Amino acid sequence: MSFRHIWAVTRKELNHIIRDRSTLILVLLTPTALLLLMAYALTADLKNVPIAVLDYDRSALSRSFVSQITAGGDLELYAQVDTFDELEDLLMHGKVKAALVIDPAFSSDLMALRGLPLQIIIDGTEPESGGFAVDHIAWRAEEFVNRALEDQIQAMGSMTSLQPIDLRVRTWYNPSLKPRVDLIPGLISMVLGFPALSVALTLAHEREHGTLEQLMATPIGRAELLLGKMIPYVLVGLVNVIVIPILAMIWFKIPFNGNPILFFFLSAIFLFAILSMGILIGVFMKTQAAALALSFLLIFFPGFFLTGIFFPIASMPEIMRLEALGLPGTHYAIITRGVFLTAIGLDVLWPYAVMLVLLGFAFTGVAALFFRKKLG
Amino acid sequence: MTAIIETQGLTRLYKDNRAVDGLDLDIQSGELFGLVGPDGAGKTTTLRLLAGLLFISEGSATVAEFDLASQSEAIKPNIGYMAQQFSLYAELSVLENLLFFADIYDVKKDKLQERVDRLLTFAGLTEFKDRRAAHLSGGMQKKLALSCTLIHQPPLLLLDEPTTGVDPVSRREFWNILTELHMEGTTIIVSTPYMDEADRCSRVGLMYEGKLVICDTPKNIRAQLKGDLIEVFPDDWQAAHQLAQTLPGVLEVQTYGETLHLFVDDGAKQLKAIEKSFNKNGISISSIRAAPTRMEEAFISLIRRLEDETSAK
Amino acid sequence: MSPIYLYTIFTCLPKSITMLRRIIAIAQKEFIHLRNDWWMPAFMLFGGVLELLLVGWATSRPITNLPIMVWDQDQSAASREIVTTLINTDTFVIEDYVSDMDTIEDALDRGDINVAVIIPPDYSEKIADPSGQPTLPIILNGAESIPALAALRAIEGVTRDLGERITLQRLGMSPDEFESFIPSLRVWFNEALNEALYTTPAELGLMLEFTVLLFASLSLSREKELGTLEQLLVMPFSSLEIIIGKAIPVIIIGFVDFVLMLSMVNIAFDVPIRGSLLLLLILAFGYLLVELGKGMVISVISRTQHQAFLLVMLVGMVDFMFTGYAAPVEGMPKAAQFFANIVPAHHWLEIVRGILLKGAGLDVLWPHVLALAILGTIIGTFSLRYVRRALD
Repeated sequence: MSFRHIWAVTRKELNHIIRDRSTLILVLLTPTALLLLMAYALTADLKNVPIAVLDYDRSALSRSFVSQITAGGDLELYAQVDTFDELEDLLMHGKVKAALVIDPAFSSDLMALRGLPLQIIIDGTEPESGGFAVDHIAWRAEEFVNRALEDQIQAMGSMTSLQPIDLRVRTWYNPSLKPRVDLIPGLISMVLGFPALSVALTLAHEREHGTLEQLMATPIGRAELLLGKMIPYVLVGLVNVIVIPILAMIWFKIPFNGNPILFFFLSAIFLFAILSMGILIGVFMKTQAAALALSFLLIFFPGFFLTGIFFPIASMPEIMRLEALGLPGTHYAIITRGVFLTAIGLDVLWPYAVMLVLLGFAFTGVAALFFRKKLG
Repeated sequence: MTAIIETQGLTRLYKDNRAVDGLDLDIQSGELFGLVGPDGAGKTTTLRLLAGLLFISEGSATVAEFDLASQSEAIKPNIGYMAQQFSLYAELSVLENLLFFADIYDVKKDKLQERVDRLLTFAGLTEFKDRRAAHLSGGMQKKLALSCTLIHQPPLLLLDEPTTGVDPVSRREFWNILTELHMEGTTIIVSTPYMDEADRCSRVGLMYEGKLVICDTPKNIRAQLKGDLIEVFPDDWQAAHQLAQTLPGVLEVQTYGETLHLFVDDGAKQLKAIEKSFNKNGISISSIRAAPTRMEEAFISLIRRLEDETSAK
Repeated sequence: MSPIYLYTIFTCLPKSITMLRRIIAIAQKEFIHLRNDWWMPAFMLFGGVLELLLVGWATSRPITNLPIMVWDQDQSAASREIVTTLINTDTFVIEDYVSDMDTIEDALDRGDINVAVIIPPDYSEKIADPSGQPTLPIILNGAESIPALAALRAIEGVTRDLGERITLQRLGMSPDEFESFIPSLRVWFNEALNEALYTTPAELGLMLEFTVLLFASLSLSREKELGTLEQLLVMPFSSLEIIIGKAIPVIIIGFVDFVLMLSMVNIAFDVPIRGSLLLLLILAFGYLLVELGKGMVISVISRTQHQAFLLVMLVGMVDFMFTGYAAPVEGMPKAAQFFANIVPAHHWLEIVRGILLKGAGLDVLWPHVLALAILGTIIGTFSLRYVRRALD
């Protein structure tokens, strides 16, 4: 292993990246742009979910119930309809995400505390809005009836509380339980891995342009070539490792509780691991188009869906849990969240760092093993 | 003199196609060896095999005293290989390309400056040293590519059609450089489609359908051609061509643009006879003369014979 | 879909025979190219299907198996009952029973657990007391808010049910006498609230978009980068012929990819096709042409395949964010909601969900179809003009 060889390749790649200005700008800005987009879209608080109400009761009580539900702007009364058909139509057209059907016996049952004859219908194709509406309506309904129920219990001479178990929920690291607080560090872990897609192209680029033939006729070592190609993208990636967390702190007000130097160091290890994955793809693919398609399928999509940013790995099937362990993003997502939110140090994070190093060496090793300095 | 390349039955298959078929080649240190043959004859595959860029299907070879199959990496520091198509980094400057290969070939730092300067002068690229390779002319790109393969002063050069697509002046300059290197003792193997270039080699190998059909000095190859050459410049090319094939004493007719090349059993005797025959048949000719045979004619004649043999089979 | 394509082809009918032959020649060249680089079409065809299968299988399911730590200071039948009830929801698995706070703190710090439940020593005592109200401290790991929210929901459900039972016991009533005050819930179009039913159709739609965009964006940028476009341009092909010839493989592969993914989603995830399959296929074809137009523009703007790819990422992700898949459009600011309407993928997803799950027909979907047609015409006209001008 000669550092002179590695550095020669690195310098050449850096020149290549820097001289192609528009690509350089795209490579540098894409992660930031993606983060902004995703952060805005994925962590937007639900508001103004349109609902329809079919009020068979038409009493003062039902009207006050409806106005209470729609107060506060979480739910928006899109239409008050008279027939079930109209309601069906609205759901079918996607005009409303949920509908509330108030039984004719609503006020009489409620006054007599016989029950709550309400039906909530939600659009199962968009359960996020629907579920939000259900929670909201149920919560308002509970509030509505609780006072009356408590009076009745007291009248029965009991001292019991309506809710005998007093749930005391505390949320650590993210007290308001806002998804954006932890999703943004998670997304950062994803977008920082983005240079891996570019590095997957570099070998195929040389193949397509015929420069690999010349290189293969030289005494350069296989690992030297692969490492030399990865280093410039590690450097490009590290620019974003600095810029993106600052952006997250200033723009999205995400706390950064941990040690920035540790984060930088661990990020460099992550970049090594994920770029190794990219270079491994590059070794097997003959053209840039194929390398692109494959890195899309092996790096981008799994990085998004299977690293536990959105869906907990614990809930995945056994095999996928193992697969997730092989994705550098899985370990790095834990590191970013840990450093941003829980402020844990290397004493806790070392197993993930070790995993990243192992994955990096494994990917590069396999890549170097299968990379032949032969044309066919 | 020692052999720098020795191959025994060297073969490369692409699926069922025998791109190089049982090549037996001995090249001595210090030779300037030309590899000629029609497109698809296996010249590029041969050079790639010798440079260690392809797996060997059958046979064995030794290059610079290393076994090609098992020690191909050990061979690489000892050779300079230049691919047929432009394969330098287009976005790097001339100087950056040279320095890149200097690093890869571990050229000693203290010798670097002197060697780079020498190569730049040698290739006439000194004033273009900061220009990006992409913006060089075809001829300059070839000279740069050659310079990059020379940066580590390899004892063996493998050049794959280095002058294809280059203007005549650059071509001449390029060959002057090669001759100079040859004089300095570098062994050069060069493939070329140009027969005048083959004429400048110390030995020429002709490849046809993956096989080496002839391998000798240009002089001996030319000598293989039977008869003398008569060059005819007719006014009506088509009629002259038809007639020439029927004339007695004419062994072979080759066309060369608007001229006809006739091979006859006895040049001195037939020149007048042929001129007469043309006049008699009312075909006017602007000139007719005896000419020395060149590699070109010898090559075409050989290939034609080989093609006839193949189609007869 | 976009009439401009049809129109252009139509007005050229007189010379269309030679044109057709040339188009076929280019398309043939493209297919030969694809055959030589067979990885690429293989990924385009089967990659999406496989990816969809994996992602759907891994993530289209309820959140379960969240590691939970229990500190049972009471060690009574009542405390064990609540733990058992929690486990029976399938949302949790016991990581460990512990007996000190340090272990819990450490496990939360490490991210080993999502929830800790601390049952106080007087829990059973207070449950037994007719007026008692035991506290039940819960600590959620907010560093993973999605599992934390799921955990909270499950715990609230369990304590509400348990609380209701205890209240009834204390009042000396039987559960039959007591009417529940929880409103009844019906879920339409997806009665069992099967996650796969709402995620996979959207993923299917998006996969089609990315496939077509990526493929189309490489078609010209590749030839540009490798310098072969010049050669194509000096040949007697018109720019329109080049465009159509290059589009044919994209259309064929994109469409076959869609049909494969649709079958897979239908078979593996039981996603129904309640509406008209024919209508869905026709609209898929139309949508494909819209994305093709976008991809072609990207292809012409980019000098290299790398650039084209990065632009596809940006454009694709912008679309993705405004489709309503990742986050409901209602939650976005008004400007963003307006913008969502000019994103073709947004309408396309409404169509896919509408036809597959709601069984909707043109009578319901016409606004989206119309929007797609208008956007398609605009994008188609623009891209055709732009690409032709760039090629000429």
